[in-house]
Amino acid sequence: MCLAIPGKIIKIKNQLAIVDFQGVKKEINISIVDVKVGDYVMVHAGFAIEKMEKENVKEINAYLKNGI
Amino acid sequence: MESKKIIKNIWEKAQKINRPLRFMELCGTHSEAIAKHGIKNILPKNIKLITGPGCPVCVTDQSEIDIVTGLALAGIPIACYGDATNIPGSLGSLENARQKGAQVHIVYDVIEALELSRKIPNLVFWGIGFETTTVMTAWGIQEGLAVFSSHKLFPPAMEALMANNKIRVDGFINPGHVSAIIGAEVYEKFKIPQVIAGFGAEDVLLAIEMLLDQIISGEKKVENEYTRLVKKEGNQKAQKIISEIFEIRNASWRGLGEIEKSGLKIRKKYQHLDAEFIHRDLIAKIKKEIKPRKSICRCGEVLQGLIESKQCKLFGKSCTPDNPQGACMVSREGSCNINFRFTE
Amino acid sequence: MKNNKIIELEMGGGGKKSEELIGNIRKILSVKGKWKNTKDDGAVFDLSRDATCCVSTERNKLVFTTDAFIVDPLFFPGGDIGKIAICGTINDLSVMGAKPIGISLSLVIEEGFLQSDLEKIIQSINKISKEAGIPIVTGDTKVTEKGKIDKIEITTSGVGLAKEIISNDGAKVGDDIIVSGDLGEHAVALLAKRFNYQTKIKSDCQPLIAEIQSVAKYLTSCKDPTRGGMAAVLNEMAEKSKTKFVLEEKDLPYKKETVAISELLGIDVFSFPSEGRFVATVAKKDSQKVIGILKKYNKSARIIGEVQKGKEVWLKTKIGAVKKIEVPRGKLIPRIC
Repeated sequence: MCLAIPGKIIKIKNQLAIVDFQGVKKEINISIVDVKVGDYVMVHAGFAIEKMEKENVKEINAYLKNGI
Repeated sequence: MESKKIIKNIWEKAQKINRPLRFMELCGTHSEAIAKHGIKNILPKNIKLITGPGCPVCVTDQSEIDIVTGLALAGIPIACYGDATNIPGSLGSLENARQKGAQVHIVYDVIEALELSRKIPNLVFWGIGFETTTVMTAWGIQEGLAVFSSHKLFPPAMEALMANNKIRVDGFINPGHVSAIIGAEVYEKFKIPQVIAGFGAEDVLLAIEMLLDQIISGEKKVENEYTRLVKKEGNQKAQKIISEIFEIRNASWRGLGEIEKSGLKIRKKYQHLDAEFIHRDLIAKIKKEIKPRKSICRCGEVLQGLIESKQCKLFGKSCTPDNPQGACMVSREGSCNINFRFTE
Repeated sequence: MKNNKIIELEMGGGGKKSEELIGNIRKILSVKGKWKNTKDDGAVFDLSRDATCCVSTERNKLVFTTDAFIVDPLFFPGGDIGKIAICGTINDLSVMGAKPIGISLSLVIEEGFLQSDLEKIIQSINKISKEAGIPIVTGDTKVTEKGKIDKIEITTSGVGLAKEIISNDGAKVGDDIIVSGDLGEHAVALLAKRFNYQTKIKSDCQPLIAEIQSVAKYLTSCKDPTRGGMAAVLNEMAEKSKTKFVLEEKDLPYKKETVAISELLGIDVFSFPSEGRFVATVAKKDSQKVIGILKKYNKSARIIGEVQKGKEVWLKTKIGAVKKIEVPRGKLIPRIC
């Protein structure tokens, strides 16, 4: 199951980060991405698999607003 | 609204091309999104979307299900993703094995499997899926998780599909998350219109429009609609972990048969965590005892887009999501399951 | 009941220890109502004398319902198994237009269960019983050997009196389809707890008596979307009334967190259960009035669609397509790939 919604990193502790998906927060493994607090990531089965590109944050926000 | 405009463009462009077009979506989540948003219902008549072999549960070969179920019945505790417990094999499904007393644990992610393995001795995690879930399994192995690997590589399956001249496809909608790992570049060798797409309704619609554009201009290339996530070179950190843990081997796919260099085996360095090695004697015994289950299920043809679900005699009769006879009905992303749930 | 004490097998044996346990449970349950509890095996309600306290007509209809509850986890944000057990039966009576007059409570407890947890469960049953003014009038308690059941199972039955029965088959072509609030939050609370997500969403578990009574006369059909969620319930209502329900995706009553968790776990949001909401059909001329009244209880009450000629439940999606909403099938387990 691939997720359509990106999550925002709100806290990082070593390999783990708290990621916020539209108000639902979950601890996610970030060992295969280079990220910092505030970045958006796409998550698949407990792991952040890629960072969403900065220049696309506007696009991401529009996407979140329009819903999935 | 943006999507209305894309739909209008699609109608205009499809009319211009004016011949039947078949596009195959390769990822199960795309199939789910297409059904969820009702996309098939608003496309022009000459565009047909067909579901490809993108659901990992669906392409998992009978022999692998039998081995894992055999291990469970022999007393080896198994952890796996939810859908994998329901695929019927020669020895029944893992769910059936659990009803008979086998230890089968459904986990949501590898992290959970790893935690379980610290409490349950000899636990084996059954790794299924493409490059996306493979990274996580690889991470688990690095952390000490024992694994039975049914992991597969995506591009070789596309190659096999294209080599089969019975399958006529005018373009592919390439997977989103798999591509995030492997990148956009790897698809360049396939000379056919392809668009990597995200999972929203607009993403899929835009991908269809981009495929139409390629057909109009006579191009055969890979384009990336999902630039907000998928990079040209993919996630190199992830690729490194995969190749550190796994090596490539041939693998059997349901429906597609054996495909060269399409599977992943745990490297010798980690064989102490490779269930195929740890339980090699037991597996040899299971293999000898298995009598392949005969079924007229046509899953294999369905997931190559050769037939539609309703052409299978079992579909909707003895085979339903409540009582699946084949893998395509098990997973929510299997084409039969989707066709059953979203009949028009 | 002491904090770290556990339920022992003898407490279900019918002897002294049973009596003590039942006594302790009874002590917590404080609402008595008009029922007379003699030392016999059942409680007595004098219909000829006391029915008028509930409904003011001679044509009273007696409604009787029962439900068994197993929940994992037992305690979750917004409630626990006790609260669901009492609300569930109250609501089953309420959606039929009945005013509940008494509830029975049966407990099957696994040996080793914490007495303090039992106390919490009984207290939350009592809280709802008090708020709604509905007494627990009879009950039973059994204890099983460890491992024979999963912690605790609760069965509640209830009787209610109604002037007019609201059925689930009365939808008419042209009616509006309404919901009493956002749906699926009970599922969110449970799933979040089970799979370790943090969210502000609490279970929507609550008794519905007042809400439904306030609009009962306008409802042509009504049901609470518990197991199987809106998908199951609307399909049942459409089928039984031989009509077609058409919903607008943009009007669907799901919070962003609810949609997010359904995405995260790969479970269809339409199948998410609620334990304190109802869906109903209302004649178009009454729907604004009904929504106005319901908004006093829950700001999210709204119209989500329309009853048309035909069959099944259909959704007009945001991109302008239509698709069928199916009855949930298969097992509701999270998926990964």
